[in-house]
Amino acid sequence: MFGKGFPFMNSGGFYSHAIESRRPGGYTSKVRVRDRYNIVGFISSGTYGRVYKAVGKNGKKGEFAIKKFKPDKEGETIQYTGLSQSAIREMALCTELSHANVVQLEEIILEDKCIFMVFEYTEHDLLQIIHHHTQPQRHAIPAPMVRSIMFQLLNGLLYLHTNWVLHRDLKPANILVTSSGAIRIGDLGLARLFYKPLNSLFSGDKVVVTIWYRAPELLMGSRHYTPAVDMWAIGCIFAELLSLRPIFKGEEAKMDSKKTVPFQRNQMMKIVEILGLPRKESWPGLASMPEYSQLQSLVLHRQPSHFHRGSNLEGWYQSCLKNGGYSSTSSAGTPGADGFDLLSRMLEYDPSKRMTAEQALEHPYFTNGGPISGNCFEGIEGKYPHRRVTQDDNDIRTGSLPGTKRSGLPDDSLMRASKRLKE
Amino acid sequence: MAANYWASTQRRHWLFSREKLADIREGLREKDKVAHSQFPLPDQRLLNIYFNQRRLIQIIELIKLGKRMSTRQQAIATAQVYLKRFYTKNEIRQTSPYLVLTTAFYLACKMEESPQHIRFVVGEARGLWPEFITPDVAKLGECEFALISELSSQLIVHHPYRTLSELQTELSLTSDEIALAWSVINDHYLTDLPLLHPPHVIAIMAIIVAVVFKPTHPSAYPGTGQSALAGSMRDGGGMQMLAALSDKTGSGPPPKIQKLVGWLAESEVDIKAVIECTQELVSLYEVWEQYSEKSCKELLGRMVKSKNLDK
Repeated sequence: MFGKGFPFMNSGGFYSHAIESRRPGGYTSKVRVRDRYNIVGFISSGTYGRVYKAVGKNGKKGEFAIKKFKPDKEGETIQYTGLSQSAIREMALCTELSHANVVQLEEIILEDKCIFMVFEYTEHDLLQIIHHHTQPQRHAIPAPMVRSIMFQLLNGLLYLHTNWVLHRDLKPANILVTSSGAIRIGDLGLARLFYKPLNSLFSGDKVVVTIWYRAPELLMGSRHYTPAVDMWAIGCIFAELLSLRPIFKGEEAKMDSKKTVPFQRNQMMKIVEILGLPRKESWPGLASMPEYSQLQSLVLHRQPSHFHRGSNLEGWYQSCLKNGGYSSTSSAGTPGADGFDLLSRMLEYDPSKRMTAEQALEHPYFTNGGPISGNCFEGIEGKYPHRRVTQDDNDIRTGSLPGTKRSGLPDDSLMRASKRLKE
Repeated sequence: MAANYWASTQRRHWLFSREKLADIREGLREKDKVAHSQFPLPDQRLLNIYFNQRRLIQIIELIKLGKRMSTRQQAIATAQVYLKRFYTKNEIRQTSPYLVLTTAFYLACKMEESPQHIRFVVGEARGLWPEFITPDVAKLGECEFALISELSSQLIVHHPYRTLSELQTELSLTSDEIALAWSVINDHYLTDLPLLHPPHVIAIMAIIVAVVFKPTHPSAYPGTGQSALAGSMRDGGGMQMLAALSDKTGSGPPPKIQKLVGWLAESEVDIKAVIECTQELVSLYEVWEQYSEKSCKELLGRMVKSKNLDK
């Protein structure tokens, strides 16, 4: 089906066809994507480009996900314009990293002005799994499965953090799950090293982390953020696995025409509604945060009712357990009081007090209650649907270049979730 | 792993024995004997001096990369390592060294989180070598593909600077000693040492040179005073002292050196490797005395032009 019309490769590979012998300095890939893989369909797209599903050929076994970075375009022809820093980062980090809970890179092929990053194929991701549990009606993800997911996720994150890598974009769509229930942290496009960076971590990318998972210190304009931003996101993911909804589902305020980053008032409100207002007494750095005055104006302009009480996370948690039917006697089991304690330590306002990945792995939630399976599906009846792989020729053909139409969408997972709901 | 040298691609794929490195280069030479006899080039270290030291610094100054010296030096160091690795896979006579150098620098800036716009880098490089760099940025973009591909996307480089700053307090190094060790590390990129030894061995070598040899011109940068350093390393009896370290019989040196000796004895650093690095550095400083910018420029220019490598 994709034999000839599938525009996975730019047609007319310039060097392969136009120039037979290698001219000095001219670049021709030694390895060709089409010689090694059969593309069987399209998985997703984002601002970076597109992801395809592929199977190995010529003796190469297995299924793969190939991430193709879109090349820049000047006029009608694709030109070499220099690779984006995020592509460079992802290539370098994925090449260097190796851990059972971090997505496994097969190879990188640079061909026809495009980058193809070939990853192992993962059948599921957390967004898809959470979505499956809301259909046809809500049914909770069993507590042992949540525990296994969280344990593997924290293991992967501990590995990244001990290697001085910040992920910076953890969200359910980026947490991949293999068909045998292994968790793989994916999409290191925003990740970077934090060991004595040359420039402050703020200067490179002004906005990081999908808004719902963005840590309060980032919302408050912090320039010195730490691995704690990833732990906040993990806390949000934990909450979402239990409640099947994003815990802090705010609306993103867009950058204005001057490209200044606005205060994310709505997102901060969503957090405050559950955790109460952050306080200088328990978060000493708060008053020196760039957006502190904005936070105060938020208090002045709103009804003070839920601002002046403390955290209601426990209330949120209890009703979450109740709605999900989590209890020691139910088939789903329960994350129990340990689960709440862990959650509250990850959703700690003060980044310096927030639990680290290492501490979280030692938490009673994991150490009590028996062994944890490395297969999060162990003991689970019924199967999760396979990843949707489309063969929508129109979609692929008409887009003159991958990703261009949808670029600018802040969050690929939003797009994908809404697309699924329509179907 | 990103911060763990022992599991890094640098250690697994880019660390060679001297013999292996010689074999690789012989292999490259065998493939292109004609060009080798047609276009003789100066000692590789002299070419490194020509490119890395003088030219890169110029580009960097033009670009005003970062405000701190450490920023620039780390990007330069990474670019230098990329070049070394690239030329273990490619014969220099098949490439335009000017383009490869500019590209390595452009890529290293992105990797070291100080990205520069491609047009800007090409513009500045053209300012330096108008006859060798074309205004077409696509050339640099294409060369970037070749570079990344030859480096197998292994772009994270571990440098000795980190070990140096980590040991600063432990060995109570003065700021003069740190400055000198720092410039010794800068100089080692002109040799094959980054392909031969792990970064911590280089850092310790630099510290020993700074503490034991105490040359009269500290913080010589870039490269000035190296003959003074070479002199003091040759004549000062420091070599014997260093050799004595491996016998662990350091009797009667000043307290600072005693402390260093004690620390070395307790650490599991390969003293032989450290001595070998020191000798390599001495030999660099000797070769440096023959450096002639004019001759490097002429030989390279003739090669690039007659082979149309810049097209």
